[in-house]
Formats: sequence, structure tokens, C-alpha cells
Amino acid sequence: MILIGENIHIISKVVSEAVRNRDTAAIQALAKAQAEAGADYLDLNMGPARKDPEELGAWLVQTVQEVTDIAISLDTMNPVAMEAGLKLCRKRPLLNSASGKADSKTGMMPLAPKYNTQIIISVITDRGCPPDVDSRVESIMDTVAYANGLGIKNEDIWVDPIILPVSADQKQVREALEFMKILPDLLPGVKSVVGLSNVSNGTPAPLRGILNRTYMLMLERNGLYSAIADVLDPELVELNKGGMPEVRELIGHIMEGETVNAGDLDEKGRSYVKTARVLLGETLYSHAWLES
Amino acid sequence: MEYTAPLETYSGSVKEVVIGKGDRSVKVGGENILPLHYFEGKAANRPKIALEIDDNGAAGWSEWVLEPYKDVVADPVKWALKCLDLGADLICLRLESTDPQGANVPAEIAAALVKKVAAEVQTALVVYGCGDDKKDAEVLAAVAAACSGENLLIGPAVKENYEPLAKAVAEHGHCIIAQTPIDINLEKELNVKLLKQLPPERIVIDPLSSALGYGMEYSFTIMERTKQVGVIHGDFAMQIPIIADLGGECWKTNQARAGREQGILWEGITAMSLLLAGANLLVLRHPNNCRMIKEAIDGKL
Repeated sequence: MILIGENIHIISKVVSEAVRNRDTAAIQALAKAQAEAGADYLDLNMGPARKDPEELGAWLVQTVQEVTDIAISLDTMNPVAMEAGLKLCRKRPLLNSASGKADSKTGMMPLAPKYNTQIIISVITDRGCPPDVDSRVESIMDTVAYANGLGIKNEDIWVDPIILPVSADQKQVREALEFMKILPDLLPGVKSVVGLSNVSNGTPAPLRGILNRTYMLMLERNGLYSAIADVLDPELVELNKGGMPEVRELIGHIMEGETVNAGDLDEKGRSYVKTARVLLGETLYSHAWLES
Repeated sequence: MEYTAPLETYSGSVKEVVIGKGDRSVKVGGENILPLHYFEGKAANRPKIALEIDDNGAAGWSEWVLEPYKDVVADPVKWALKCLDLGADLICLRLESTDPQGANVPAEIAAALVKKVAAEVQTALVVYGCGDDKKDAEVLAAVAAACSGENLLIGPAVKENYEPLAKAVAEHGHCIIAQTPIDINLEKELNVKLLKQLPPERIVIDPLSSALGYGMEYSFTIMERTKQVGVIHGDFAMQIPIIADLGGECWKTNQARAGREQGILWEGITAMSLLLAGANLLVLRHPNNCRMIKEAIDGKL
């Protein structure tokens, strides 16, 4: 699976300070660390980029490209910052992201054909995030059709089903899994992508990794193509390279509804099994899900 | 051919919690059915009603709910006896006077009072602290020690103080009230943590009860889901009886304080709703509602 490094993100305090002070070294250190960890793309999240969007977009892309030649996923809802950054990308970038919202369709989406980028398109519309599989299908069909009309080919579209935190809405976690399964039949040729760590938003920090990793394997099993993820989690990268096949196999059993005898497993195996059951909605989530 | 109606049955059952000792003990929980679905399976115990008293002379109580008790509120022992006369299955004593924002009565005085009530009133006792987590940890630990072996139901244990409280409760042979702020995930988390210190037969869930018009439907949903998760889906950490501590919540609303009939109805409707949602133990203030809810439980309404 393609991994997009998430760690240059404006919500991080280190990053927001670095961006405010135009601290080249701090950003470059994060870029290098993720490159060495094995990221296939680097996500550069600028958030709304209200102040000096044009200068910021350009600065961030240049700063990162000085130390790595990994392709960039440029992440902002500000079309001015987006365009300024896209202009400078040396490798074919990923525009992150557009949606079915009216202003996104008119302000953001046309930048993809203009700069020959690939583009993430989410299921969000002006009505918000669709609550179930059917409404996700409805919204993405509409939005992709609109993108096709702008000359964007399915092959260049990475569909984002929108991952919500398991601590907030367990049902949505399962809906996204189901959506992933049917996506190739709906829109042949499109790729898919998720903001993986969002599944563990709201969960205490030491417990986030196992949620992210388990969900990654589950989504991958249902066909996920790529994830914006914490590539600085070595276990996540190892799993993505095909490491720990026994964990992958266990999660497969759980997803197929087969019985797994917890007594036969080691601590790690039990943790992955418990986590998969929570993500499937079979067990009610609590922050103490690994302890029961 | 004779028609037999299909019956839903479930794999999970709620643990039975015993409060009090000997022949004055009260049992709650022990059902493998959804609330009041007696036709579906076994319910070892019908829901129970506690009438509430406090150690602060009913300060702040609405005049309408004070009427039946006005001669006895200064003396918790007399007040408790009166509540039993009026039909309560057990008594809920709230240590309102220990509130640091109020009289801030020290732990040992509160503990001595609970001991006195437990000794002089032959009843099972629920003891609620004032709701300040630090003060409660101190007061309720002292209560647990002073009443060692009385098997009180003591709370609220919250995220901030459950560890020392559960330790005191375990050590002195009581049961604990696990309280979380109307959130099913936090409720489960606290149960999981408490289950490391106490068996499920010594825990009762307080998911927080809101009054009609003040978010009662949230309390309803959480109670309903707790039963579904525990009884239908067999989640061990959720197979624990529920206490609905609703009397005080109802009687502090302007609507309840506006008049006798409306006040009694406000509490009665809230109680009836939370009974349907799955409460195993209801804490009420007005004796009319104690009678009414008992009739409802027995199918006589």
C-alpha cells in the first residue's frame, strides 16, 4: 500500500511554530525522517493558510524539496496556497483535497487538470459527511462525474471515504470498511486513500498506534490503495511491507467471522484481535478496550 | 393448530447485586431480559425504589416534596423510618452537608451519621457523597471504614477517584456506584477499570439521570444501550445493574417547583421513562411516585 507521511501537519505544535517562524530546518528534519522511514509521498498540511497563502504554499514545497525528492501531497483548503505550491512540485503531486462541496468543485478541482496532478476527492458534500454506505456512494458518484467532466480521469482520482474516530462513532468505522469493498465496482479505475490516524483521534496517545495499524490492515484487506498515516510508527511501516504475517492472518480470520481462540495467542496477537473486534463494531469501544 | 408467539431470548444476563445484610438486604439486577420484558426470560428481581434523605435538613428542597417529611427532615433516622413507612424498598442517604461549597462537614462526622442510620434503621442503604470528587474520596472512604461489613452501596466513584474508593469498598465489604457523564464509552471504561478491583456483583452503574426536559432522553438512550450491549451482545463489562438517581434532578427544575401536582408528575414521568429504559434501582423523593412506580413494575397501572 502507498504510504503518505502525515507528520507535517499544521495541527502539530512543532509544525505550526515552524510554519509561523518559517523555520526551514524544523520542516526539513520532519521531511527527512519520514523519507527515511519509507514514505511514498509527503503530505504537507497547511490548514486554511489564511495568512500569506501564496508565499506559504511556495515556501513549504521548496523547503521540503531541498532535502527530498519524494512526491508531495499538498494539503490545504486554500486554493491560492494550493496553486502556489503545485506550480513548484518537481514530481507529479497529489492535490489533497477536493470534495463535492460547491466551492471545492469550482475553486479547487480545476487546479488538478491545470497542473496535471492526481487528486484526492472525498465523499463530503455541502450537506456534510454522508452517514452510511449508500449516501457515500451517492455523493461520490456525483462528485467523480463532475471531476470527469473537468477532464480528470478515474486513474488520477483517489477517493477518500472519510474516516471518523472510533471513540466518537463506532458505526462509521464499519461503514467506511464496507464502502471500501464496493468502491472498485462503483468507479472502475479510481484509487482510494484514507486519513488513517483519524480513526484514533480522541483515543489516549499511547493507544493510538494499534488502532491505526489494525484499521490499516482491515482497510487494505477490503482493497484500500493508500493511507495518509504515521510513517514514524515502525510497526505500521513493517506491517505495510508485509511483516508480521501472523497478525495479518489473524485479522483476516476476525473479518471473516471465524472463531479465534484467544488462549492460543500471545499478548500482541490478543491485542490485535481485540482491536479488530472493536473496529468491526462487535465490541463496544472504551478507552480500556485492551484491558478487558 | 395452537399458535405460540415467538420469543426473543438472549445470551447475556445482568449480575445480581445484593445491598445490605441479612434479612434487610435488597437485591437488584439478575435479569436476562430487556427492561420489564418478563415474558422473555428470567428476572431474579423486580426494579427497586429508594426514597432519598439527606444530612442537611433538606436544604433547597421544593416545598411540594417536603410536605410528606416536614416533621422529620432534621433527623435522618426518623426521616429514613418515615420513608420505609411510606413504602420505600431502601433508603438513599445523600451527604449533602460535606460539600466544600456548602457546610463542608468533615468526613468523620458524616461517617458517624451513616453508621448511626445503618444501626438504627433496619434497611439497606445507598450512600451518595456530595459530588466533589476529592471530598467524596475522603468522606466515602471514612464511611466505608466506619460501616465495615454493612454492605452499603456507596458512590459516586468517578474517573478521578475510583481507585482509592474501590479499595475502601473492597476492603470493608460494600458495593460501589460507578458514575460517568452520560457517555456509553466512558461508562464501559470505568466498569473495566473497576472490575480489576471488584467483582461485578459489587458494582452498580450510574450513567447520570437527567430530568424530563433537561436531557432525559440522553439518559434513556445510555441505559437502553447498556442493557442491549450487556444482555443482547453479551458484553461482560456492561452486565451490571443501573441506578437512576433522578429525584433531585427533577425537583430542582423550575417546572417541578411550580406546583405540587406538576412537581409530582415531573418526577413520576421521568422515573417511569427511566424504568422503561432499564433502571434497576430508582432514587426518588416523593412517596406518591414510589407507590406509582411500584404499581407500574407490578403491571397494575
